[in-house]
Amino acid sequence: MGSILSLPWFDFTVSGVVIGSIYALMAVGLALIFGVANLINFAHGAVFTVGAYVGWVCAVALGLPLWATVPLVALGGGLVGAGIEYIAIRPLNRQSRIAPLLATIGVGLILDQIVHILFGANPRALPVPMPGWRVSVGQGSIGPIDITIFVTAVIAAAALYAFLFRTRLGMAVRATAQDEDAAKQMGVNIHAVNMAVFAIAGALGAIAGLLVGIYYNAIDPNTSFQIMLKGMVAIVIGGMANVPGAIGGGVILGLIESYGIALFGASYRNLFAFAVLLLMLLVKPNGLFAKGREREAEPMTGTFVIQSMPVRPPGWLLALGVAAAALVPLAGQPYLTQVMTNAFLYALAAISLTLIAGTVGLVSIGHAALLAIGAYASALLTIAGLPVALGLVAAAAITALLGTALAYPAFRLRGHYVAIGTLAIGEIVSLVILNWTSLTNGSMGVFGIPPLTLFGVDFFSTNPSYWLVLGLVVVFALLQTRLLSSHLGRTWRAIREDTVAAETYGVGSNYYKGLAYGFAGFTAGLAGAVTAHQFSYINFDTFNLLTSVLILTIVILGGLGNVTGAIVAAVLVAGLPEMFRVLAEYRMLFYGAALLLLIRFRPRGLLGSG
Amino acid sequence: MTPSLTRRGLAGLALGLALGGALPALAQSSGEPVMIGVSGPLTGPQAQYGALWKQGFDLALERINAEGGIDGRPLEYTFEDSQNDPRQTIAIAQKFISDPAIVVEVGDFSSTASMAASPLYQRGGLVQFGFTNSHPDFTKTGDYMWSSSISQSQEQQVMADYAVDRLGLRRIAVLHLNTDWGTTAKNIFVEEAKKRGAEVVAAEGYLPDEKDFRATLTRIKASDPDGLLLESYYSDGALLVRQIREVGIDLPIVAVGSVYSPDFLSLAGDAANGVHTTAYFTPVSPRPEVQAFIKDFTAEYGQEPNNFNAMAYDTMNILAEVMRRHGTTREEIKAGLGEISGVPSVLFPEVSFDPETRRVMGLEPTELIVKDGAFQLFQP
Amino acid sequence: MSSGALLSATGVTRRFGGIIAVDGVDLHVREGEFLSVIGPNGAGKTTLFNLISGQDRMDEGRVMLEGRDITNLSPRRMAEAGVARTFQHGRVFGNLSVMDNVLIGCHTRLRAARPRVPVVAPVLEILRALIRPASVRAEEAAMREEVRAIVATFGERLTPRLDEPTYALSYANRRRVEIARALALHPRILILDEPTAGMNESETVEMRDIVDALKRQGRTILLIEHKLDMVMRLSDRVMAMDNGRVIAEGTPAAVRDDPKVIEAYLGHATIGGGEPAEASLMPGTSRAAGGVQ
Ligand SMILES: Nc1ncnc2c1ncn2[C@@H]1O[C@H](COP(=O)(O)OP(=O)(O)O)[C@@H](O)[C@H]1O
Ligand SMILES: [Mg+2]
Repeated sequence: MGSILSLPWFDFTVSGVVIGSIYALMAVGLALIFGVANLINFAHGAVFTVGAYVGWVCAVALGLPLWATVPLVALGGGLVGAGIEYIAIRPLNRQSRIAPLLATIGVGLILDQIVHILFGANPRALPVPMPGWRVSVGQGSIGPIDITIFVTAVIAAAALYAFLFRTRLGMAVRATAQDEDAAKQMGVNIHAVNMAVFAIAGALGAIAGLLVGIYYNAIDPNTSFQIMLKGMVAIVIGGMANVPGAIGGGVILGLIESYGIALFGASYRNLFAFAVLLLMLLVKPNGLFAKGREREAEPMTGTFVIQSMPVRPPGWLLALGVAAAALVPLAGQPYLTQVMTNAFLYALAAISLTLIAGTVGLVSIGHAALLAIGAYASALLTIAGLPVALGLVAAAAITALLGTALAYPAFRLRGHYVAIGTLAIGEIVSLVILNWTSLTNGSMGVFGIPPLTLFGVDFFSTNPSYWLVLGLVVVFALLQTRLLSSHLGRTWRAIREDTVAAETYGVGSNYYKGLAYGFAGFTAGLAGAVTAHQFSYINFDTFNLLTSVLILTIVILGGLGNVTGAIVAAVLVAGLPEMFRVLAEYRMLFYGAALLLLIRFRPRGLLGSG
Repeated sequence: MTPSLTRRGLAGLALGLALGGALPALAQSSGEPVMIGVSGPLTGPQAQYGALWKQGFDLALERINAEGGIDGRPLEYTFEDSQNDPRQTIAIAQKFISDPAIVVEVGDFSSTASMAASPLYQRGGLVQFGFTNSHPDFTKTGDYMWSSSISQSQEQQVMADYAVDRLGLRRIAVLHLNTDWGTTAKNIFVEEAKKRGAEVVAAEGYLPDEKDFRATLTRIKASDPDGLLLESYYSDGALLVRQIREVGIDLPIVAVGSVYSPDFLSLAGDAANGVHTTAYFTPVSPRPEVQAFIKDFTAEYGQEPNNFNAMAYDTMNILAEVMRRHGTTREEIKAGLGEISGVPSVLFPEVSFDPETRRVMGLEPTELIVKDGAFQLFQP
Repeated sequence: MSSGALLSATGVTRRFGGIIAVDGVDLHVREGEFLSVIGPNGAGKTTLFNLISGQDRMDEGRVMLEGRDITNLSPRRMAEAGVARTFQHGRVFGNLSVMDNVLIGCHTRLRAARPRVPVVAPVLEILRALIRPASVRAEEAAMREEVRAIVATFGERLTPRLDEPTYALSYANRRRVEIARALALHPRILILDEPTAGMNESETVEMRDIVDALKRQGRTILLIEHKLDMVMRLSDRVMAMDNGRVIAEGTPAAVRDDPKVIEAYLGHATIGGGEPAEASLMPGTSRAAGGVQ
């Protein structure tokens, strides 16, 4: 293997450290927040973006010097951070841990969209005069900004470490993190502490945005989620709440990516990042730097399903609803029909997610992966010559099997580790599709997927395809409702309520989670497959993270576990913005606000969780 | 660069109101408007391109309607936001097809998003004019798919000519967007380079949201190339050239024509110097159509137009000319596209379509190099 | 192994870091016997029961049930072997109805609904749940009938509330549901961890009567209890623990009068009667959190 040895490993190491220090800078803020609020702040990436744009306004539009820009950026980020605490965290104090996590996703979407509306999607240059020198390292060079990023990360971590372990407020912060009730009794003002921490983390995130913007001389409003995810992987490596560990985690992630690129090529980068994430969650959930077998992290029990009685609409009303839906094409508005077809495809996906996230309690942020598997399975099989009808069924079955197998590692995770784990699995599926070119045609996607023709009958025209999808929704809603009324329904819900107690009474929770995933995978696979035949073209990005978040929003809106609710919510969320296309420009704002407001004011959803 | 889009948006709004008020008085064109349906991204990751389109469309329509529109009827468009998402483009297609006022459809941005809707337009008998759809298969769905975009096989032949024949590169490393567009471009380029006796020694794909290329470039460097070819858009292309210089690669860079944008220069800064590219639309062209367009555009928006502005501008002019000469029904437009020739254009010497491929014939690319922070004619 | 024992644990040891929570404990229960384990807080009682019922894994020791080695089986296998337990802090399924809670106790006995065929069992189980052949329907009906019968042994406390979610029940009623759920397993041995924790006096008396009734049905019962009154009345035998070790074993009276036991309790400042301090430190299980009634 002389060729491997002859690679410029030193240069790869430098590259890894350079990008790793950016991850580290993100991770320090995330770790600080996790340490105090026991929460992954998904809005941290949006704070990063806000920081970059505040920086642009100061440095470019107003022409301020760097020494004036940095404190203003920190101030802006601090305010946004404090705002996140005030809006998304504080009111949810008494809810399950997953609630604030989802709320931060909502806030992130809103912030991104606001930046987008104010500044447009065009990347902007952020030319800030920097000293012109560069240091030669290996064959390349690093400049003052590379060094600034690394040094900022280290100083921030060191300062926070000193703050947490040497100052009174720091003690209060840690006391809050360890036991909120006890801290309260000792006179610690928890709200103030939390807000201070979010403000500090926000300032740090914003400065990261500014520095990284200067480094690349480019800022754009679509960076948030990616950079946040990398920061998240870094803190999982470093230990969720371990602030100095975050630096190590960031650099290690940078190195893993860099070496991965060295060995396999650039398109594998994110695959490595998410594989490492999943591996860490499963093998060393306390991080690489955890000392020995630490006391297990507090099991984040208590699912998102709060105590409520679901609304049970009478049968005649449901029948009436279905009948009305069946009449939609008669309105003679193909656009409306197509929008409703899309909405019902989302409904099918939401029915399957509401089983997993609602009934069984595995809140998944990777559900789009099941759609993708179904879509690719049916597309590839039918292109290879299988009739479409068989392709759909085979795709559903394959998704049931493969989806269950892929999700299996996440079954042993709890609370919002499930959310992170499923997110990673979802990204891994999409990246495997991207890289497994011989099977999936890679980034080219799959063209020429046959249209929906079942047994020689046209189901691809607007109206027949609508009725087909509506039919599938009705059938699978009925099937799932029937399952929920069987021993499976109570067994799944028992697992959700208390896995330990369920196991004590002989319930094999992994087996039953598998059954739920199998059934949900079948439904979702079918939804993905139908979508593929409708589009005639799919690629690895057709079903992405945003799709997953959207489906989850639908499920929460409908009421976790509530089948009827999932359908109604799909029509509202996926249908409404399209019907009022004036809203289209603010669609993401709408989704984000819907998610945030729901979790805040009606966590049981419209029709109640079951 | 203008301070922010909002301010520009407000200015545009004010301008629109002023024009709206002025229109009846001037009475340049009146009667039932001729309506074009545009499907494109106004939100989402590709939103900037929708904004660029609008600028080009609006400028063209202002002129067309000032000159009397289509036989006295004003030419207008309705822009539906697709987010460049195939889910949306098919719904929008339903909407346009069923709306008898729409006589021709324009867009969507990516070939992927467009091609999802193509079967619908084909069945619905409405021309889908994909002016940014360079995918070689885009016009193959049926005879209602037309494009004024240079196809990728045309474009990559030009790139290979430039890199291999003009610059004499023999060991080329390709960096490409890992999307259907970038991968198709890379694949065609590999073929074309081989035909010309050069070898592609490395090909690395990257995702559109990637920002860091240092490790990738280290790998590229290890393959010992004598030049780099970028199949990139302008924003990622700018990130790339900066980092190419930072990791100490000092080789010739040829970038596909989509980097041709003032934003490429501002984003890449000094690192842009020495980058080769080609353009069909370029301000350094002496042709009067081009100079008039640049003057009008700069006066209207306070910034120089880029390639996407120009393509959008051309699209409206081509369609207007087809309608003037051949009529405004859906079928007349389809037939007219096959017959029309000699339409003045910003991108091409003159536009006519090959009725077989339904793409523009007779391209004349201009070879450019960045010098002193500006695109200039390349003279070896 | 002592002859005639239904359950016998020998040398059971569990360490948490430096602490030896359970230190070489032997425990034997005969069929139909009522054995109580007493001891101050932190003595290791709950940990011992967790080890016997599979919630936790022991570092050393062995547990036999009817001559079968059940050491460190998973909780699920323990349930299948016939070990049923309640939890000190109460673990009903809050969003499930009383009926569904108790039906979960029947889970190990489902035959028609849970086909035990290799490989295709998952698919069959879903299909049967969808199609519901007569055998499945009959089994479900029988289980429901049985649940009603079990619940009826608690008088009129639960029967009217069969379809209410348990989060809406009083604290005492939730403990009753837990016991009903345990009974539905048809356990060979029933393990009760402080069934009266957090109950007031009249509820305690009622719970005592329930446990008494269980004893008179001839069940084999292992009980952890602080309230000595109940222990004295019901137990055939009592075992006292302190610091993870057994310090006394024998008839209720003998253990009560054992000086070591008295010392252990005095050292920890509470004996009998009074509410153990830990109960009030558990907001989740305190009466205040007991929901509406
Ligand atoms: N999971 C655990 N980790 C660490 N120590 C534990 C754990 N569970 C119990 N202990 C310790 O073991 C000892 C016995 O606890 P426990 O069995 O609950 O006592 P009891 O039920 O007799 O009140 C106590 O010191 C307790 O702190
Ligand atoms: Mg105890």
